[in-house]
This record gives sequence, C-alpha cells and structure tokens, in this order.
Amino acid sequence: MKLKLFFAAMLFAATPLLADDAQDDAQDEPTPPTTEEVAGRVKGMSEALTEVRNTVDLLSKLKVTGYLQAQFVEDERSRNELAGAGTRNFDQFSVRRARVKFTYQMTPSSRFVLQPDITSSGVTLKDGYVELTEPWTTWKHTLTAGQFNWPYGFEIMYSSSSREVPERSRVIRTLFPGERDRGVMVSGLGFNERFNYRVAIVNGTGTTQTFDANKRKDFVGRLGYSFGAVDVGASAYRGSDLVATSTSSNGREFDKERMGVDVQWATPIPGLGLRGEYLQGKQAPASGTSRTQSHDVDGWYFYAIQNLGTRHQVVVRLDEYDPDTNVDDNAVRTINPSYIFHWDAHSKVMASYELIESQANDPDDNVFTLRYQFSF
Amino acid sequence: MKKIILCLALALPLFAAKPVSIKGSDTMVIMNARLAEAYMTANGGTTLQVSGGGSGVGIAALINGTTDIAASSRPIKTSEIDKLKARFATTGYTFPIARDGLSVYLNTANPVKELTLAQIRDIYTGRITNWKQIGGNDAQIILYSRENSSGTYTYFKDVVLLTRDFSPRAQTLQGTAAVVNAVAKDANGIGYGGAAYAKGIRFAAVKKDEKSPAILPSLETVRSGAYPISRYLYYYTRVKPSKEMKSFIDWATGPAGQEIVGKVGYFPVK
Repeated sequence: MKLKLFFAAMLFAATPLLADDAQDDAQDEPTPPTTEEVAGRVKGMSEALTEVRNTVDLLSKLKVTGYLQAQFVEDERSRNELAGAGTRNFDQFSVRRARVKFTYQMTPSSRFVLQPDITSSGVTLKDGYVELTEPWTTWKHTLTAGQFNWPYGFEIMYSSSSREVPERSRVIRTLFPGERDRGVMVSGLGFNERFNYRVAIVNGTGTTQTFDANKRKDFVGRLGYSFGAVDVGASAYRGSDLVATSTSSNGREFDKERMGVDVQWATPIPGLGLRGEYLQGKQAPASGTSRTQSHDVDGWYFYAIQNLGTRHQVVVRLDEYDPDTNVDDNAVRTINPSYIFHWDAHSKVMASYELIESQANDPDDNVFTLRYQFSF
Repeated sequence: MKKIILCLALALPLFAAKPVSIKGSDTMVIMNARLAEAYMTANGGTTLQVSGGGSGVGIAALINGTTDIAASSRPIKTSEIDKLKARFATTGYTFPIARDGLSVYLNTANPVKELTLAQIRDIYTGRITNWKQIGGNDAQIILYSRENSSGTYTYFKDVVLLTRDFSPRAQTLQGTAAVVNAVAKDANGIGYGGAAYAKGIRFAAVKKDEKSPAILPSLETVRSGAYPISRYLYYYTRVKPSKEMKSFIDWATGPAGQEIVGKVGYFPVK
C-alpha cells in the first residue's frame, strides 16, 4: 500500500513536468501552411523551374562535337635518318587531329560554328563561320560567311573523321591545301532535296596565309544531284595566284582553274560503296619561276569500300596526280589499302598502307599508319 | 569426344540468335513494346529489345550501327540518308508500320472545340497568346511541346508551323505522355502528339482552313486523309532485313500486328 502511495505521489509530482513537455511538443509542431502559402511556394518553385528551363533551353542550343586521332606512322623515308643533314626520322607517334566543334543554333535560321584543331603542332582554326538560312522557301538558301571548306568535289567536304583512309588523295591535298578558305558562300537544296548547290567567293589563298596576297577574289562552286543510290556532282574553280617570278619580285597573276566531276554509288552489292572524282585545271608555278603561264594539271581518285557487318570495313583507294600534263612520266600514283574496325559508335581503329609509286625515280616513301580515333 | 562436346558447348553462345534491337520514336515506343511482346510470345526463338529516345536518336543509332531497326515518326531526312550512304553504302529500307493522326490536345475544361491549321500555327509561333482571341476564356495560352530530337516535334514543325520557329514560351517536355499529363492538369494548356495518348484530355477538331469542316482524328478520317495532320510511322533498317527482322516486320504489318497497332490507338496501314 505504501508503495502504491509512493508511486501516486511521484506521478502527481511529475504531472506538471509532463504537461510542460506536452506543451513544448505542441509548440514545436509546425503550423499547417495556409492555402495561400502553399500557392505562393508552388508559384516560387514554378518560377525557379522556369528559370532553370530557360537556362537549359539556352544550353541545349549549343552542340559540342569532336574527335581525336592518335596514331603511329612508319614512313620509309626514315631509313636514311643517319645519312646526314636534310634527313630525319619520320616514324613517330602523334596526334594527327584533335577537333572540337562548337555549334550554336540560336534560331533555325541562324547558326554559329567554330572548330579549332588542337595538336602538338599548335592550335589552328579549321572552321569559323556564321550561317543565315532564309525561312521563306523549301530551298533553305543559306548564306555562310567566314572560314569554311571549299565547296568543291566530294573529298574536300567529306569529314576526316569519316574518311576511310588517313589522308585525302594527293591531287586534293596539292590543289586544295588545307581544304579551306575565307569568304562568303550561298547554298541550297531543292527538287525534293535531290539537287544541291554551293557557290562561294573566296580569297583564294587558303588558310595558311593570314592575308590575301592579291585583290582578285576567286569563284568556286559545286552542283550536285542525287538519284538515290547514285550521287553526282560537277565542280568548278576560277581564280588567280600572285606569284613572284624570276623577272618580277612583286609577282604576277597566274591563272588558277579547276574543273571536275565526282560520283558516289551505294551499289546493290550489300555494303559495297564506290566513289570517284576526276579534276583537271591550271596551276600556278612555284615562287621564283621563269614561266609566264600556269601549267596544266590533272588527277583522280577512286575508292572501293566494303562493309562487313556493322564493325568491319575493308577499303582500297587508288589515286593519281599529274603535276604537269605536258611533261611525261611525272605522275604520282598511290594505292592505299585500309582496314577499319569500329569498336563501338565512338571508337574505331584503322590500319592503312600507302603505297606511293612515282613514275620517275620512285623513292622509298611508303607509309604505314595505325590510328585510333575517338569521336563524340 | 568429350573435348569436342565441351568445345561445342562453349561455342554455342557464339551461335545463339542475336537480339533484334528497335530504337527510336517515343511516340511509337508503347506500340513497339506491345508488338514485340506479342511477337516473342508467338515466336519463341527471337528476342526483340525495344527502347525510345526519339526518332532522331533511333536514326542516329541506325547510322552508327547500334540498332537493327530505327523507329521513326517522321520520314528519314536527306542528310541522314547521306550519312547512311557514306558509312554503310546503303540508302536504307523503309517500312510504314502504322498511320497516326497527329492530335492537338486541349484540357477537357477548355471551351474551344476546334482550331484551324493557321490558328494552331499562330498559337505555337506566339502570334495568338490568349484563348479569348479564338473564342475561349480570357486566359493566357500555355504551350507544351516536345524536345527537338522528337520526330513528332519535327513533323509538327514542318507540317503545321511550316518550318517556322516555336514561340520561346513553349515548354519542352520529354515524351508525349508528359505533354498529355501537362495538358490534363492545365485548363489553359495546349499540346500535340500521337492519337494513342488520349487519357484525361480532349482532341481539338482541326480545320484545314476557315471554310473546311472541323475533323477529329479517327480511323476513317486519318485513313481517308480528311484529317489534315496525319502521318505514317516507320521502321527503317540499314540493310535488307535479316530472316528474324523480316519475319517480325512482316508480322507487324500483317493482320495480327495491325490489330495491336489499332488497340494501341494508331491506325493500320492496310
């Protein structure tokens, strides 16, 4: 009984404390928000979400793509590396191309493109242009201004990240060094998108020189038509080069002309694609020449590309360049077999052998390239 | 002998049938999944893997060789065919799987019942911003749209907006289902997408112009072409379909597959 009385007394004594705790709990419990408060918070969140969405929308207009080519090259010219001055080693590891392309599409009718190339040789600007596309017709006539690929033939405009051999053909590398120039271009697509055109006015000096040496501007353009599996194109270039001669250090204007045709065929044989291009023209002589006129040049290339499933490609390219058609036995022909393994959608490995045959005094100059490319 | 059996057992996985992948249009993803389920149930030997991401994503996967079939709610572009030609020396193969009436979604509380194509265009380009301008309530129109990798977005922009820009006020949502949900919850919302996603919203009857009759998307109106915004839904393959792919595509375009197409809410191609 005494024990019960003791517990009762303790409980009585503790009651005020329990009551205080309960009161504290009641005070700690948050007051349910009013409908207006909830509405305000939701509105605040909605505004924040709109801000985030606006930022994301702006960022989504910026597209960043790129690729890097790491390679090992074994070059037969390296065999004379100990022969003394003027020889050197060409066998080496290198980063052939490391491109990052920034495309900012503010509206469907205006676009900004910047593509630097960052390699061990330095940083160079490859593409840098703005585009305006008219919205009124289905042709989508587009004005491009800045630095861009010469709109000529097929191989110049075909990306190095997609090409099935390490380098462009000799005729293209020689007649269109750097593949780019500065100027303005108009392009469009019509007749159910089967016909396309690109015409440009450019400096004519390419991108290796900072300034245009002459006042004259060059014209270059291509007309293309697609028959479905077969695409054809005809291209022309007309301009001039200012070249110092043996009689005039200020130089004189030499004609610079190219005309050509190109064909690409997705054959009925599964996975087999064929491509070819022929061009001829007039090329200015080298600086210090005693010539008074440009000389005739021509060249061609031919690709056979066989896809084996989705991962393997076997390719052969034949190409020839004649630096002066009026001189006998001076053409250079190259046979370039290549194998490509596509590891996944981003990575591919290429093994390629460039067998270079000069018609006169064929030197040891064949090149083997093993290249790994990652693109995104 | 045991060694031979062991070698054969180890080699068996190499010869096991490779799954056929179908990737692309979010509009088509439910239909593709239902078709794949039914086909695999009926044909035990083939495994089909279905995923979405958008028509552009599907066609990009076809070009880089990571899917067997691209599902697209828009025709493949010339630039995409050029990439296929360059990479795989093929122009690809096209298979229309279903027809879809691209529907304009309105909230069930919205008094506006019909819209002309020009009005829809003006709404989505920002020239009409208030429902009262077209006979509705005095309320701002809330625009719901799709991401630009969507074939539905591309088709709507090309056919309805005539390639003009969307209003910057248009809110971009991932997938048609998200657009439907948004419009269902927003009395002043408007959206667009496939006819298969109709829960909680109402379709606007669409008029080709002021003088034309207002048409709702239905089997008859889409098939006859009376409904002004109808399109095909496609499968694209890179190469001539393999035995497994051909069997599936033939089945999907046959009576059993087209019945599923109809049940999902689209319209048969035949």
